[in-house]
Amino acid sequence: MIRTAIIFVVLLIIMRLMGKRQIGEMQPFELVITLLIAELACIPMADVSIPLLYGVISVVTIYVLHEIMTLLDLKIKPLKSLISGKPSVVINKNGIDDYQLKKNNLDVSDLIESLRTSGYFSLDSVDYALYEANGTFSALPREDYESTQTSLPLVIIDNGKYDKKNLELLGLEKSFFDEILRQQGIKKEKRVLVLTADGTGKLYLQAKGEKFKTLQTEYPGGKTW
Amino acid sequence: MVKSLIAIAVSALLLFGAALFEWFYVEDQFEGFHEELMSLYLKTQDETASGEDAKAVQTAWEERKEHLHIWIPHNDISKVDDYMSETVRLVAEKEYPLALAKIEIMLHLSCCLPGTYRPGIENVF
Repeated sequence: MIRTAIIFVVLLIIMRLMGKRQIGEMQPFELVITLLIAELACIPMADVSIPLLYGVISVVTIYVLHEIMTLLDLKIKPLKSLISGKPSVVINKNGIDDYQLKKNNLDVSDLIESLRTSGYFSLDSVDYALYEANGTFSALPREDYESTQTSLPLVIIDNGKYDKKNLELLGLEKSFFDEILRQQGIKKEKRVLVLTADGTGKLYLQAKGEKFKTLQTEYPGGKTW
Repeated sequence: MVKSLIAIAVSALLLFGAALFEWFYVEDQFEGFHEELMSLYLKTQDETASGEDAKAVQTAWEERKEHLHIWIPHNDISKVDDYMSETVRLVAEKEYPLALAKIEIMLHLSCCLPGTYRPGIENVF
């Protein structure tokens, strides 16, 4: 009984520390319970030298812990955020919240992937985006978001580093974007949280700790995609 | 909420009851087994033990273990089974010094096995 409770608490802490990347659509403690019950039920079934009662006792202990957790989750507000976590607003009116991303062990490319899965291809298509406590992604689109999605944006700079693959794909030089950064008062690429470019010449630029900007540019040779 | 609280209380009581029952039951069974072994040990020491004496202890153990299977790992039971079989053979053949060694191991097991089911820090970690 005590061993089961210890494993439960340890797993719950670990899942909470791991952030939202590790969980699907369940609350962290529900995922922990699912993981444990599967194992606890399996071991006495597979190993005949262990009395079946051991599995039953452990599963009942898990049930009691689940009921206690659910009660705490519903009745005590401060504990709810401790047990289940809080939603993390990763995009707001100022752009991407780098702190919230890092807190949940995510990076800009994960965020862009989540946006695409939700049907938003450009970072400026949404006013707000958040990862819910159960790990799902929600976004509030801009009123005119469909007009911002004219071409597929590609990541040029992700967290201070050029994406060489995308540069090659576009056939554009690093110096072209360096020049744009200089014009925006950014001397080093390391200061850039994200820079995306779409086929119409629209750039989404956000320096670390600053509000995002959208710029319109023309690619060398009138390139589009 | 009242339903959840009742479910928690009932389940917790059941678990607590099961833990206490396991503790006392296993301890009681091994205490009885220890006494039977002790009398066989003393007879073996005096070299008066017969094959029937050892067989009687084995039969009593067989009865006990039927219920113990529910509560303790079967490997622990089979450990005692092995030593018990050897003891019966050795006592029947009057190999008393060798039989004493086997009985001593079983005496030790009957003392330490119930201890592994007691709620204690050494059993938790």
